[in-house]
Amino acid sequence: MTPSPIRRRLLAAGALAPWLPAWTSANAAADPAAWAATLRAARGQTVYFNAWAGSERVNAYLQWVAGEVATRHGIKLEHVKLGDTAELVKRVRAEKQAGRNQDGSADMGWINGENFLAMKREGLLFGPFAESLPNFALVDVAGKPTTRIDFSEPVEGFEAAWGMAQFTFYGDGKRVPRPPKSLAELLDFAKQNPGRFSYPKPPNFHGTTFLKQVLIETAPDRKPFYAPAPADPGALLAPLWRTLDALHPLLWRQGKQFPASNTVMRQMLADGELFITLTFNPNEAANEIAAKRLPESVVSWQHAGGTIGNTHFLAIPFNARAKEGAQVVIDFLQSPLAQARKADIRHWGDPTVLAVDKLPAADKALFTQATAPGTVAQAAPVLPEPHASWVEVIEREWARRHGQ
Amino acid sequence: MGAPPRPVTLRPIGRAWWWPAGLFALPLLAALALALGAALDAAAWRSLLADPALWPALSLGLWVGAAATGVSLALTLWIVTHLHGTPAWVRLERWLGALLAVPHAAFAVGLALLLMPSGLLLRLIAPWAGWESPPALATVQDPFGLALIAGLVGKEVPFLLWNVAAQLRPVAQATQLRQQLQAGQAMGYPAASVWWRVLWPQLLPRLALPLLAVWAYGLSVVDMALVLGPTRPPTLAQLAWSWLLDADAAVNAQGAAASLLVTLLVAAGALVALLLARLLRAPLRARQVRGDRPATARTAAFVRPLLGGGALVYAIVLALLAFVSVASVWSFPALWPQRASFEAWSTVGGSLPVLGDTALLALAASFTGVVLAVAWMETTPPAWDRRAAPLVFAPMLIPGVLLVAGLYQVALHLRLDGSLAGLWLAHSLFSAPYALVALAPAYRGFDARYEQTARALGRSRAAFLLRIKWPMLLAPIASAAAVGFAVSVAQYLSTQFVGAGRHATVTTEALTLASGGQRTLMAAFALLQALLPALAFGGAWWVARRQARRLGTEA
Repeated sequence: MTPSPIRRRLLAAGALAPWLPAWTSANAAADPAAWAATLRAARGQTVYFNAWAGSERVNAYLQWVAGEVATRHGIKLEHVKLGDTAELVKRVRAEKQAGRNQDGSADMGWINGENFLAMKREGLLFGPFAESLPNFALVDVAGKPTTRIDFSEPVEGFEAAWGMAQFTFYGDGKRVPRPPKSLAELLDFAKQNPGRFSYPKPPNFHGTTFLKQVLIETAPDRKPFYAPAPADPGALLAPLWRTLDALHPLLWRQGKQFPASNTVMRQMLADGELFITLTFNPNEAANEIAAKRLPESVVSWQHAGGTIGNTHFLAIPFNARAKEGAQVVIDFLQSPLAQARKADIRHWGDPTVLAVDKLPAADKALFTQATAPGTVAQAAPVLPEPHASWVEVIEREWARRHGQ
Repeated sequence: MGAPPRPVTLRPIGRAWWWPAGLFALPLLAALALALGAALDAAAWRSLLADPALWPALSLGLWVGAAATGVSLALTLWIVTHLHGTPAWVRLERWLGALLAVPHAAFAVGLALLLMPSGLLLRLIAPWAGWESPPALATVQDPFGLALIAGLVGKEVPFLLWNVAAQLRPVAQATQLRQQLQAGQAMGYPAASVWWRVLWPQLLPRLALPLLAVWAYGLSVVDMALVLGPTRPPTLAQLAWSWLLDADAAVNAQGAAASLLVTLLVAAGALVALLLARLLRAPLRARQVRGDRPATARTAAFVRPLLGGGALVYAIVLALLAFVSVASVWSFPALWPQRASFEAWSTVGGSLPVLGDTALLALAASFTGVVLAVAWMETTPPAWDRRAAPLVFAPMLIPGVLLVAGLYQVALHLRLDGSLAGLWLAHSLFSAPYALVALAPAYRGFDARYEQTARALGRSRAAFLLRIKWPMLLAPIASAAAVGFAVSVAQYLSTQFVGAGRHATVTTEALTLASGGQRTLMAAFALLQALLPALAFGGAWWVARRQARRLGTEA
């Protein structure tokens, strides 16, 4: 039982991090001439933006962006629709193996987590560029540390923060009159409503995140989980498995089967088969209510003690044809105008990465506080992800205990 | 590419057969070699064999594939035996194309809507059972894969029936069949006995390839398994798929190895079936010539109710898809949705421009596929035809993911990725073998005396082909084109990778949107996806009917 290569590489990187050169954030940001040259080169370029296309609202937002960058910068933005972001990783990897070191098929992509990790490790990304974009100065790197650390992997300017996410639960208020605001309350809810909650089968991303949430929430001392996992983590993980042993018999199908994903769970919730489900987008329920796919009585909540949060990003493949165009588009996507529209629940409802309170008054005014049915009433604190080495440990042990 | 190609004369013996063979085989061989290279990574096999998820998934996959193939074959034999030659068979034949046009994934979603705990059936019972929420019954995604097997059988029986119909449709075969049936009945055998003792022993070997395709599909199916199959363990094909989609190259390699394992299982299953057929030949022959005249089995009475039930399931599946495409909130146990919305259809409307592109690409690919298939049938010596069969059918039997990976490498090296030419090549390669399978029975059954007569009357070979043979074979050619068209429309991975995601089709639009899990959209797009193949199969059926009227061979 050795860690898989990807995770081993991650551990090695963690150990090496102190020796990595500090990426210089201010080199080109302070150089308006360089940016002016980038803007000139970008004009007339076609930018192929490879982005997950499973949401009409996101697709519509990208249509709006395409119109804006066309009029503002003379860039033609094409949304290359992906069903799974790993398609992008594999395409760029195959291009590199085939010796296609320029004229690649993708100019920018929407990634984070393991996709970013794979691309960064394998040298598939252009950069560092993110911290030289003019609008980087507006990003809330202090208040939102995950804008520079993606799933415990230092970003180092190889991707630009685009939006924020935080682990959130939702359910129909008629079935869940008192939303459980902690793990203990969730367990009580499951006792009263057996078979009406579940989580996606790890290593599904949302399923693993639920395990991390339980891990952090049940730990008497959280500190060990923010350091690499020790060789024998047994005792540290005991509360996690104890909680799951209590929870599983109360889950959908007594925890003998698990839903494949949280999108499947959302449909089961809409059909009445589940009463509570989970998401990483705090506005998902509100979006679905607006799209008339969930009843208006659905409410969202986070555990009062905090839930795990992260960030999603924009990156440029190493062999992109339109690197300048991609940077200009990314800078636009980080602008207060684009971020405010993205955060607006009427358009997408994806929380901003900017430090809104530090923006000039005119920009701050763009961020209207529109509310909609289904949004989180009381935002809970963001808990950072545990150190990445824990993911492998808990996924492997989960598979051993509950996987087959 | 040095010497100018010499003019191709269509002679059965000669070098001309290198052309279709080469056009088809070269990119395919390259793709296969690259795909196999990726799947033969020793480290990947080690991690695959050490993975505790492997064995449960493997047994489940084998069980699902074997059960689906066995049940589909049994139902097909039974239906044909008792229905062929009746007006009901003619009606059935007419509808088969429409049933085939329903995409597998769409059928799975529709069937789930019928069967699942919050599905239509249990909603109908709910008031009597007193259920306020969906009951905790594993009616889909059951641990034994029964719902998945049912879904597969629902799609495979029409496919097998369609192949039997293709075998029996050529004039020569139809006449022979009628004569043998009459002879047998004159000797006092019931029609069913003649089928079992005389007709099936001749027909079954010719169904070997379609059966192999069914077995391969059952073992490698992913899209239906995601909807209807269990998750713990999943089938081996699902496991391989999830590994191949991972961003990590090492996990991908393990997925490639698992895909190759699926292919090996397909081949092993085919070998076992061949051995069994050989072993059983002698005892079966003894039974065939036993000479007793059994009464017609009483089960014959169940054929029509079963077919009626099957047709009803298809109708309900399609109706449910249409219904949930607008029923945006439809909580258990209500029979009527709480919220309705046409938003999914307005999104479909926004994607309509890709409908034309999809159709054009599919037309080009199916045309190429049919041309390749006809050229192959016309020019390949019979010995080669048999020997090359495994290569021809490789695209049908090897998991698409693996082959696409290889084909994508070929496209990258030829700089065809992202181009329409590359897409056309990829779609043609996937369409051609299906077109060949659809065309082969009619082509092989073509009466050679027509050619002898035409040549004796001094007609050139070209005139014979253009004026006599191809017009006579127009119906099977049209149906081969329809199959090739449907295969092209259904391509997802090859379109996304070889096309670098730049050329959207109905299927890429449907599947990328489906990744958001919105059922209204999935249902609306599934119906749209079924539309183009349904038109193609409808066209093929129309050509066949016109042909039959002109030749006066069939009612």
